[in-house]
Amino acid sequence: MQAMRPAAPPPGQQAHGGDLAAQIVLVARGDIAAFDDVYDRISAHVFGTVRRVIRDPAQSEEVTQEVLLEVWRSASTFDAGRGSVMAWVSMLAHRRAVDRVRSVQKEAERERRIATSEIPFDEVAEAVESGLERERVRRCLGTLTELQRESVTLAYYGGYTYGQVASLLSVPQGTVKTRMRDALIRLRDCLGVAE
Amino acid sequence: MKLSEIAVRRNGAREPHTLAGAYVMDAISPPDRTRFERHLERCQECAGEVDGLREATARLAAATAASPPAGLKERVMAAAAMTRQQPPAAPAAESRTAVVPAWLRNMTMLTWPNRLALAGGALAVAMLALVVTFGVNNGSMQQQLDDDVASSQQIAAVLTARDAHMMTGQVLGGGTVDVVVSSSKDALVFTAKGLRPLPSSLGYELWLVGPSGTRPIEVLPPQSDGMISPVVASGLRNGDHLVLTAEPAGGSAHPDKPMMLNLIL
Repeated sequence: MQAMRPAAPPPGQQAHGGDLAAQIVLVARGDIAAFDDVYDRISAHVFGTVRRVIRDPAQSEEVTQEVLLEVWRSASTFDAGRGSVMAWVSMLAHRRAVDRVRSVQKEAERERRIATSEIPFDEVAEAVESGLERERVRRCLGTLTELQRESVTLAYYGGYTYGQVASLLSVPQGTVKTRMRDALIRLRDCLGVAE
Repeated sequence: MKLSEIAVRRNGAREPHTLAGAYVMDAISPPDRTRFERHLERCQECAGEVDGLREATARLAAATAASPPAGLKERVMAAAAMTRQQPPAAPAAESRTAVVPAWLRNMTMLTWPNRLALAGGALAVAMLALVVTFGVNNGSMQQQLDDDVASSQQIAAVLTARDAHMMTGQVLGGGTVDVVVSSSKDALVFTAKGLRPLPSSLGYELWLVGPSGTRPIEVLPPQSDGMISPVVASGLRNGDHLVLTAEPAGGSAHPDKPMMLNLIL
């Protein structure tokens, strides 16, 4: 069965301080020094994820702070058997960012954002501090079909539901659902995430 | 690569399963999310797949990494030092949280005539027993026992009312609420699970908001596992909404925090 998944940590995220999962265990016990180290290793990841979805710098900072505090608060719920620390942290960050845009942002603003946003795929290039990882992701996104890639970028980077993605791309919702799953399976394989 | 594509085709026909991609990208509506999470509880294979796909989304996230503004670290560290951490889930608590939600969920799945028929008969007894057990399990202090039993009887009265109907809502920020409403009793029963823990300075507060004004129902007791045992609200009026906010601990007379749930009853 799917037991431990020792996902290869992306380059640059294993620089210091030992195993990140072990640090989270220490954080769960209230070790503030361990949290200091964890902050250094995950904050850029969290901020980048949140800002990519929310865009507004002030709100992104606020949500980033909430996510990082949640890592501190709920470290005891991290389950290494379910996946890597980065997968857990990404989930917390992305979900909160998406909740924020869906609850706070007015529909009109959303519309404007759709109208003015370039294709998210190209904007992956905006990130400046994760060169190698960014290149890998770009390369793997490049192996997807256009519909798969657009579905993933609009959903993950744009924060849209599959229903919204379907209407943006004028394809049936069922198709988008399937493409999203196919695309992530391909990405998982292409990025060498251990199964 | 080939193999997983075959797997995709094979599983593509199974409806909930195809939501795995949308689910890990948070690209689904709250009802879909709840439905899929129920599916995950029963489908080990799907849970494994979800874990794997999450790793892929983590890499998508990593590609956007950007240093947060200076000064954030100081604020986060200061906030952490003042924030109580969530205790690990105790195994006993886990099995208890499994009981009531599953039962409430089963109620929603019963068709209307079935539920009425059952509610009038043996199920009513079973429900009362469950409610009492649940109340007793959750009341840590002996003195709460009598109150719990009394409110359990009120709860049972709502649940077994002939016009009782069930609603489910998603709380912004996390959590699901289940509400059973009976217009004939002018009352509702509220339970919640998965609520995000609040700092000790705040508490969740329930409100009825409608044409006849805004009335506070109750400040929910803090629950480390995010699970709220059943709360009864009486005095329901036409056009009321059920609203949940996070207020300063101890509660407010009027909700002044953003609504985290707004359920039209």
